[in-house]
Amino acid sequence: MNSQSESSGHSPEQEPAAIDVKNLSFCWGSQQPTLLFPDLILPQGEHLFLHGPSGTGKSTFLSLLAGMLAPAAGAIKLLGTDIHDLNAGKRDRFRADHMGVIFQQFNLVPYLTAEANVTLPCRLSRRRKAATGEAPATAAQKLLTALAIPQSHWQRKVTQLSIGQQQRIAAARALIGAPEIILADEPTSALDSDNRDRFIQLLLSMAEERNTSVLFVSHDRSLTYHFHHQLELGQVTA
Amino acid sequence: MKVSLALSLASASLWHRRKVLALVCLTLTLSVTLLLGIQYLRTEVKQSFTSTISDTDLIIGARSGQLNLLMYTVFHIGDATNNIRWSTFQDLKQDARIDWLIPVSLGDSYKGFRVVGTDKGFAEHFRFGRGQPLNLAGGHWFDGIFDVVLGAGVARTLNHGLGDKIVLSHGGGRTSFSNHKDTPFTVTGILEATGTPVDQAVYISLQGMEAIHVGWESGVAIPGRTLTPEKAKNREFTPKTITAVFAGLDRKILTFRVQRDLNQYAGEPLSAILPGVALSELWRLMSQFEQALLGITGFVVVTSLIGLIAVLLTLQTQRAHEIAILRATGASPGLIASLYLIECLALALVACTTSLVLGALAISLFGPWLLTNYGIQLQLRPLNLEEWALLISVPLAALSVALIPAFSAWRQSRSQGFGSSGET
Repeated sequence: MNSQSESSGHSPEQEPAAIDVKNLSFCWGSQQPTLLFPDLILPQGEHLFLHGPSGTGKSTFLSLLAGMLAPAAGAIKLLGTDIHDLNAGKRDRFRADHMGVIFQQFNLVPYLTAEANVTLPCRLSRRRKAATGEAPATAAQKLLTALAIPQSHWQRKVTQLSIGQQQRIAAARALIGAPEIILADEPTSALDSDNRDRFIQLLLSMAEERNTSVLFVSHDRSLTYHFHHQLELGQVTA
Repeated sequence: MKVSLALSLASASLWHRRKVLALVCLTLTLSVTLLLGIQYLRTEVKQSFTSTISDTDLIIGARSGQLNLLMYTVFHIGDATNNIRWSTFQDLKQDARIDWLIPVSLGDSYKGFRVVGTDKGFAEHFRFGRGQPLNLAGGHWFDGIFDVVLGAGVARTLNHGLGDKIVLSHGGGRTSFSNHKDTPFTVTGILEATGTPVDQAVYISLQGMEAIHVGWESGVAIPGRTLTPEKAKNREFTPKTITAVFAGLDRKILTFRVQRDLNQYAGEPLSAILPGVALSELWRLMSQFEQALLGITGFVVVTSLIGLIAVLLTLQTQRAHEIAILRATGASPGLIASLYLIECLALALVACTTSLVLGALAISLFGPWLLTNYGIQLQLRPLNLEEWALLISVPLAALSVALIPAFSAWRQSRSQGFGSSGET
C-alpha cells in the first residue's frame, strides 16, 4: 500500500484529484487469488508511471480504473466521482467524456481510416467534441501532424500503417477533446527504443498542453525518468 | 448521434469484411430469390390457370359433373359424356338474356392435338387471361370448309406454316389408323401464343367438321360414300349435334338464374357451369403440392440464415480487439450489440433488393421466351401483399437470428476488461 503520488502545492479543496484509489481489490473468480492494489492519488495534469512485471494485474487495475470491471472492494474516485457508484450507462459515458486509452497493440478499429479512428471519441462524447473547439476532423489533423503522421496516411486504412504510426494514431485518439485522464497499457512494448522515447515525450508534452493526467503502465523500468511519479505493483497480491 | 455512429461503423465494418460477407449475402440472395420466385410463380400460375378462360359466363354441355365438363371443353382432357342437339343450340340463340354463344364440336384429333369445330364467334368472343382476345400471328380465320387455324403450340411443335395441307384423324389419340384422308385441310391461320390450352388445339368450322364425317356414320369410312373436296363445295352442312356451348350474358347478374334454367332445360338434360368457379375448384386440388413447395423453399431460406449467423459468430472472435477499443473509448454494450443487428439487417436488405432485381430481370428476359416455347405466361407485375409479406419476413428473420451474436457480443463486452479478452 505504498504511494508516492502525494504532490506538493496541491490542496484537495481546489480541484478533485484525477485519480483517487483506496483499498482496492479484485478477484477473477472464487478459485483465484484476490488481487490487492495500492492506494494512490494523482492530481490533475500530473503523470504516473506504474511498474509491474506481467501477471501482477496491471491490465486488471486499468480495467478497474476505466470502470470496465467491478472491484471486489474499495473505491475509485476519478475527478471526484466514484465511478462504481454510477450505473453501467453513465460509467460508459464517463469513460467517453473523461478518458483516453492506449493499448499495447491492436489499438485501432481496423475498418476506419486513421482520421476516423482519431475522431471516434468526438462521436461518442459531445463533451469531447465541444472541447476540440473546432471541427473534429480539423482537430484530428492537427494532432496527426503534431504526432508526425504524414498527410498521405490520414485517409488510409490503419492496417496499412506501421506499428509505430498506429500507436501514435492511438495517442492522437486518446488526446483529442482534451480528456482529463489517459490510461496507457504498455503502449511502447512493440516499439524500438528510439521510437519508444520519442513516443513517450510526445505523448507527455501534448498531455501537459491539455492538462491531462497520464497513467502509464509498463514492465520497463527504464522509462520511469519521464514521469512525475512512479508506483510499484505486484508486492501486494494475497 | 449514437444512431448515426452505429450506422457508419456498421457500414464501414461491412465494407471491410465484404469478401467473406459477399458470399454469405450471395447465398441469402439466391435463397430469397428462390422463395420469392416460387411464391411469384405460384400466384402467376394460379392467375394464368384460373384465367384460362375469361369473359365466358357459362359453359353448357350434356348433363355431367362440373369438373368433367370443364376438363373436356377448356382443357381438352377426357371426353364428353354426350352431345347436345343442334336444336337446343338454336333455342339458346333465342334466349334474350344471352348475348353471344360459341358452339364447340369435339371428337377428332390431329397428331394428338384436339380438333375443335366452332364458328366465327370463337374468334370474336373467346377471351383468356385478363380479357385478352385471340390474335392471329399470321393468316386469317377459316373461311372455306377445309380451312384450319392452328394453335401456336401445334404450329410450333409440328413446324407447320401457312398453306400446309394437313389430314385430320378420326377420334382422339396420337396415332390413329382412321384418317380423314379424302378431305385434307389447308392451314390458313396460326394463333399467337396464349399460354392456355388454346395453343394445343386446331380450329375448323362446324361445316368442315360435318363435311369430313359424311360417310363415317358407322364410325369408320365407308368407301365411296365419303366426300371429296370438290363435291363438298356445292353442299350446305348443318350439324345435328355439337359438344358444348360457351355463352356470354348481357347482364352478369342473371348468370345464376340462366344457369338454373338451363340445368332444368326441358328439351334434354343439360349442365351449365360457371367456368371461374369450376377452375378454382380444380386449383384447390393442386394447392397441397404448391404449399409443400413453398415450405421447402422456406427451409432453404432458414438454412442460409443459419449460415449467415455461423459466419457472424466466427467473425466475432476476430472482432474482440475492435470491440475492446470501442468499449474503452466509451461505447456502450448496447452500441456493440446494435452493430451486429444493423449489419445482419443490412445484409438481409441487400439480399432482398438484389433478389428483387434478379427476379425482375429474369422475368422480363425469359418471360416472352417461356411463353413462346413452353406456353407459360409470366409477366412482370407489382408484388402482391402476400409476396411483400414474405419478402419483409426475411429481414425480420435475419434481425431475430442476429439477436444471437448481438446478445453474445453484448454479454461479452459487459464483462470484458481492458485490453482484448480479460487478460490480466
